[in-house]
Amino acid sequence: MISHASVARPPRVAAWLVDLFASDGHVESILGDLLEEFSDLASKSGVASARRWYWRQSVKTIAHLIATGFRAAPWTIVSAIIGGYLLLGIGVWIPERVIVAVLNFSRHGVVPYYSWPQMQSHLLWLNSAIMIGQFIVAMLVGCMVATATRGREMVSTVTLVLVRGPLAVVGYLGLLVRHWPLPFSVLPFLVSYFAGSIAILIGGVIVRMRRSAPLRRALGA
Amino acid sequence: MSGRDYLGEFEHIVILALLRLGDRAYGVTVRQEIEARTGREASIGAIYATLDRLENKGYVKSQLGEPTPERGGRSKRFFRITTKGTLAVNRTHRALRSMIQGLGLAGSRA
Repeated sequence: MISHASVARPPRVAAWLVDLFASDGHVESILGDLLEEFSDLASKSGVASARRWYWRQSVKTIAHLIATGFRAAPWTIVSAIIGGYLLLGIGVWIPERVIVAVLNFSRHGVVPYYSWPQMQSHLLWLNSAIMIGQFIVAMLVGCMVATATRGREMVSTVTLVLVRGPLAVVGYLGLLVRHWPLPFSVLPFLVSYFAGSIAILIGGVIVRMRRSAPLRRALGA
Repeated sequence: MSGRDYLGEFEHIVILALLRLGDRAYGVTVRQEIEARTGREASIGAIYATLDRLENKGYVKSQLGEPTPERGGRSKRFFRITTKGTLAVNRTHRALRSMIQGLGLAGSRA
């Protein structure tokens, strides 16, 4: 008879996250160690308890891997983050300029008359297109930062996201001061910040997964 | 002699665990040994971060073992202390003993 513990699998997402952050040299042994202790714990204390343990260990392990990765190559990571931040600052305007240029070109520079509902619909589509464009730009910047920091792709992209946080707050306060006393909604700002952060991380994940694909194939995972 | 030649607190604990475990020292056993003897729940990440640092300093060497099915076909990374590492432990112990001596703490001689 096969026991629950012998067929228990560790949380896939937790294992995937550890896989993303661990260096190529240690990923095999770290995941193997976690699996070995997970199986042992599952047979002694039950699968639910073992899964909780696995998650706790994974979160702590990822925090250590980020700190270790940063300490191992601080200047490379800092340079990549500064470069990435500057690229984001420049790139964030590109989608808007391109879309407006395309619209002007297609309309021969003549702005058509819009009724109020048409104008609302037009602005909604325009803003959505700009946001999608900015998402793609942020993802490309994430890819570039990850590519520049080989072996520490996730460390650099996570750090870039963390650095953007306080800078975004400063930017928002700057906008508040500039537009004072007009009300300035925080919601679009938050949406843009979180969407940009997710896009940067997706860029990092894409580069990391492409780079570690040969190793994963060799392990048969 | 520079300050870098001394071991940090957790480095010290990890290297003592390696000495205790001998040729059975890998991530899981090191973590369990530390937990059993100090009651401190260290993460696998903390163990590897410290061992990585010790390996860069030349105090520890590592080698991959054979892949095993209970580890999902993944290998163990075995660690062992080098001569340089042993010297660093002795140096750290001497420094600690010298600092503790005369303080009337447990393990010190008045």
